[in-house]
Amino acid sequence: MRTSVKKLASAVSTSIALMAAGQAAAEIQIGIAGPMTGPVAQYGDMQFAGARMAIEQINANGGVMGEELVAVEYDDVCDPKQAVTVANSLVNDGVRFVVGHLCSSSTQPASDIYEDEGILMVTPASTSPEITERGYELVFRTIGLDSMQGPVAGNYIASQNPERVAIVHDKQQYGEGIATAVRDTLKDQGVEIAMFEGITAGDKDFSSLVTKLKQADVDYVYYGGYHPELGLILRQARQADLDAKFMGPEGVGNKDINTIAGEAAEGLLVTLPPSFDKKAENQELVKAFQDKGEDPSGPFVLTSYTAVQLIADGIEQAESTDPFEVAEALRSGSFQTPIGAVQYDQAGDLKSFEFVVYEWHSDGSKTPVN
Amino acid sequence: MQDLLYFFQQLINGLTIGSTYALIAIGYTMVYGIIGMINFAHGEIYMIGAYTALIAITGLASFGVAWLPLILIVALICAMLVSSSMGWAVERVAYRPVRGRHRLIPLISAIGMSIFLQNYVHLAQGSRNIGFPALIEGGFQFGSSEGFQMSLSYMQITIFVTTLVCMTVLSLFISRSRTGRACRAVSQDLGMANLLGIDTNRIISATFVIGAALAAVAGLLLGMYYGSVDPLFGFIAGLKAFTAAVLGGIGSIPGAMLGGLILGVAESMTSGYLSGEYKDVISFSLLILILLFKPTGLLGKPEVEKI
Repeated sequence: MRTSVKKLASAVSTSIALMAAGQAAAEIQIGIAGPMTGPVAQYGDMQFAGARMAIEQINANGGVMGEELVAVEYDDVCDPKQAVTVANSLVNDGVRFVVGHLCSSSTQPASDIYEDEGILMVTPASTSPEITERGYELVFRTIGLDSMQGPVAGNYIASQNPERVAIVHDKQQYGEGIATAVRDTLKDQGVEIAMFEGITAGDKDFSSLVTKLKQADVDYVYYGGYHPELGLILRQARQADLDAKFMGPEGVGNKDINTIAGEAAEGLLVTLPPSFDKKAENQELVKAFQDKGEDPSGPFVLTSYTAVQLIADGIEQAESTDPFEVAEALRSGSFQTPIGAVQYDQAGDLKSFEFVVYEWHSDGSKTPVN
Repeated sequence: MQDLLYFFQQLINGLTIGSTYALIAIGYTMVYGIIGMINFAHGEIYMIGAYTALIAITGLASFGVAWLPLILIVALICAMLVSSSMGWAVERVAYRPVRGRHRLIPLISAIGMSIFLQNYVHLAQGSRNIGFPALIEGGFQFGSSEGFQMSLSYMQITIFVTTLVCMTVLSLFISRSRTGRACRAVSQDLGMANLLGIDTNRIISATFVIGAALAAVAGLLLGMYYGSVDPLFGFIAGLKAFTAAVLGGIGSIPGAMLGGLILGVAESMTSGYLSGEYKDVISFSLLILILLFKPTGLLGKPEVEKI
């Protein structure tokens, strides 16, 4: 017992010494904040894989202004309360650039802290419009907005001439936001909306909802939210022989929905960012991921890679590690990245970003529809 | 006609979920009836039951066992064994040492136990939703009207039948067997029962074991019915079952059954006729109303001051 305590103590002191040495050698810390655990951890995996790869490759090419990038990773469990704790520890650790967070409901409270403390944040996944609506100087994203994704989904459903459509959401910032955008688009197109209703995230029993959908006799069901709930809805709908086409945002498009819904996931429609990993100019990067045994096809892998790259490019262009100067450089410049040419507007949103409708299959693969 | 079918379909949905609430609620109500404490770790025991069943099913499948009754029975036995030993151990470790102290102490101990078990499963099994294979598929279709068809799945029938069997066995056990009689005696007066030569520690352990075994049955049934498990799903189910136990009158076994069914039907009717958003609002408002107007619950007996 005693020796093991000694060993532990020496290990701790060595690691402290190492950390101190690390800071002395003038490195640039890049915080990566997202869910490592929790119900949506698979999206976090994409985020961490993409950001780590970018840091590795930038360092292999000589770093940024001769300095090495160092990843500091934080787990926010996609929980708004935890996100605030993470943001505060980032401030304490002296990190000045963050790739994250992932869930809109986490990004929003965390961004308040970053803006106050002068930390530059690039979210690779949060699509809620409100995040960039508050006139913050240091908030950016490498993904589109719900207000872009909703109309794509709404227009697709309208183009199929459905008689009646139901819209269900999980009452969270992301889910309800996108569901509202879909509803508004459908209304403009004159489609009848039979139902607009919330469920509780984390719930498991959707038999009443399915019965209600059956009675409303809808052709399409749009779900705003994440895959754990939609997976169960699909499965319970199949058991009750509900004959309707389901559609969801990129929050439902990952392979975990197949383990929950099984065969019932076949034919699900999902709006996703285009498959950046299929673009010819990214093949070298795709191979680098595959060599490490990682899958570059997830929707947030290359957006996270891009987030790191933008921070690095911004620092080089500003010739400074001051987050405000870097933010200025990002707003004024144009950057060539794996997600295409990136230009920012004043709010910190991409000037253009495209969403595509995919059909999901029960083996976890997807094919573009339009 | 369609409206009537719709009503009955929602009633079936509600009774299905309600009967599993009842199974879990038994654990709360028995423990309260005997030692007067709320076992907040009970929801976690239910969750562990579901996980054990899933592990057993996956294990059997990997050995190539495909005969459904065998899979179900083995999964059920594994889940009941693991859950009951967990229930027994929880009582031994967290409740017995603090029994007889101030009421708040066992309660806090129970909450700590619940957090511990939740995080233990988090670490051991990961935090993602794990899909539960659909073993019992298909069902009856009847009463079609204007495109709406009522359905009763084999899974729902399995849930009703299993719950009914469990409840009958439990009632017989409590009313007829020697241990059952001892249980009733202990719940009436623990000190007196002790004086009369009943091993009260053993009876209290038995209560925890029985409650946990029924929760494991509910875990297996609900896992298959809904289709996924995650480490947090015991918490909310436990809360609902606790509500059911209080609704029916905590300490009363028929009360737990009635409370579970009422709560299940109230939930499905709320999401069927109002909106799913109000489901939890209605069920917990029901709890508050009962506590205000009939604090002992529907079938609970008013507590007589023991001198």
